[in-house]
Amino acid sequence: MGEGLIGTAVATGRARSSSRRRRPAWPRIRHFLGFGGPGLAVYTCFVLAPILISFGYSLTNYNPFNPPTKYVGLHNYRMLLTDPTFLTSLKVTTILTVIVVVTPNVLGLAIAVLLDRRGWLYNALRSVFFLPMVLSSVVVSVIWTRLLDNDGPINQALRALGVAHPPGWLSDPDYALYSLGAILSWQMLGFCVVVWLAGLQGVPTEQLEAAEMDGAGPARRFWHVSWPLLAPALTINTVVLMISAFKIFDHVQVITRGGPGEGTTATIAFVVLRTAFEENRGGIASAQAVIMLTIIATASAVALRLLRRREVEL
Amino acid sequence: MRRHGSPVRALMATFVAAIFFLPLYVALANVFKRGDLITKEPAAFPWPPTLHNIIAVLTRPDRLYWVSLTNSVVVTGLSIVVLTVLSAMLGHYLARSHGRWVQIVTLLLLCGLMIPAQAILMPVVRVLQATGLMTTLQGLILFNVGYYIPFGVFVFTGFIRSVPVELEESAAMDGANRFQIFWRIVFPLLRPATASVLIFLGVWIWNDFLDPLVILGPGQGTTVTTGIYRSIGQYQADFGSVFALMFLATLPVLIFFLLLQKQFVKGLTGGASKG
Repeated sequence: MGEGLIGTAVATGRARSSSRRRRPAWPRIRHFLGFGGPGLAVYTCFVLAPILISFGYSLTNYNPFNPPTKYVGLHNYRMLLTDPTFLTSLKVTTILTVIVVVTPNVLGLAIAVLLDRRGWLYNALRSVFFLPMVLSSVVVSVIWTRLLDNDGPINQALRALGVAHPPGWLSDPDYALYSLGAILSWQMLGFCVVVWLAGLQGVPTEQLEAAEMDGAGPARRFWHVSWPLLAPALTINTVVLMISAFKIFDHVQVITRGGPGEGTTATIAFVVLRTAFEENRGGIASAQAVIMLTIIATASAVALRLLRRREVEL
Repeated sequence: MRRHGSPVRALMATFVAAIFFLPLYVALANVFKRGDLITKEPAAFPWPPTLHNIIAVLTRPDRLYWVSLTNSVVVTGLSIVVLTVLSAMLGHYLARSHGRWVQIVTLLLLCGLMIPAQAILMPVVRVLQATGLMTTLQGLILFNVGYYIPFGVFVFTGFIRSVPVELEESAAMDGANRFQIFWRIVFPLLRPATASVLIFLGVWIWNDFLDPLVILGPGQGTTVTTGIYRSIGQYQADFGSVFALMFLATLPVLIFFLLLQKQFVKGLTGGASKG
């Protein structure tokens, strides 16, 4: 979406400016200030300037309660490269991202194929899957904290089924991260279902019927007719899930607070905020934030490019 | 035209949806269940149902629910109104002007779509402290406006490009100035885009947790989400109240969602199908 927008801006900009007489400077500036000014001013104060300040702080030992602030060069970055807490958070975030990109995508496609029919029943069921998308992550987190409690409904059910020692889903360091991944997947599933369904509805019925008459079964019809047309849906799902997964904070803060144990569920976003607001190590937190931004920008650019190329080839 | 499903498919789909819905069923059941039964038999149907939990939340002496609700309504309402006005105007400017300047602004706004709030919150706190807006609702609203404006601008820019520019040109010929043209002629045509922006940003800002937590600060003011977060610590054992609070806090979004579901889905699936 983004690249397309820039593309059109560039194209129309070139085409028009050569053929049109430029308006005098002052009305142009007044037009810009009147229409764009207020929005851009707020955006500059609360997004652009903070990004630059973050870059700046990342080169200092800034700590609001421990002045003076001094320039330390790349020291923070060098330190983070060997900092076990930060490296663990990178690992945790990567695992979580893989879970969150794969699970809702795959399950979402299966459910979308199941729901791709007409009638009130299917409309109602679609809303059921979509519901968690409009719930606050805090609400979702509290619900699941109760469900996955050591003595919560899920373990009560497992005990009733004869499992003597059901796992501590959120209290066992070996399980907590995967439980978190499952919770996130549950909440994001609806988004994928909606996007896949929209993709499936874009598949022309004539083509499916033609394939059926040629003797293709459901599996081959899906693979050869529908799947190539679902490429844009896969792109949207993957990029959106990836960006959301990289910045997971709310669920960690409410459900596990980074634990159990030593940072087993502490994501980058969680570590950045803890370093900034609990430990007050502003310089280090800014360096972490800059690394986080770089990873998100690079990963989404690469994913977008790969998936777009695939869309063209299909 | 898609086909109707077979009974087997209907049964399977219902079964999968029921499993998916289980967590929400447990949460909903516990809203109407006595406190002691919540821990003992959390999944049982709440019979006889009790309104005790809901009444307890509504009549709390510290009025946590009412204060949170008021704050959330004020923050969400003002944020989305200001966002709609500012991003529609900026979007119009970007859609109708040309040149290097426009490209630079577009690119800068594009960056903002990807920036996670976590990465900029510390400097934002510094800006708010410097302007005396830290721990105020105004501060939170201003941050929301700055943070979500790229989304609004891209929705409006895309839409405005599909509105014929001739309408504006003929109005200009009749002597209307730019503001009059925009507000009287263009803006009323942008209803679908306005709806998208209001719906999405409304839900996002209502559900936002991190920004109110940091900007409104501890104890000062709560929105519904930070209110729930604080009450988990307080009640510990009293899950009935927590579930009732969550239910009441979600109710406005839920009603909103059920009323505007079609538009919600339409907005989400903009580019999901080829051709």
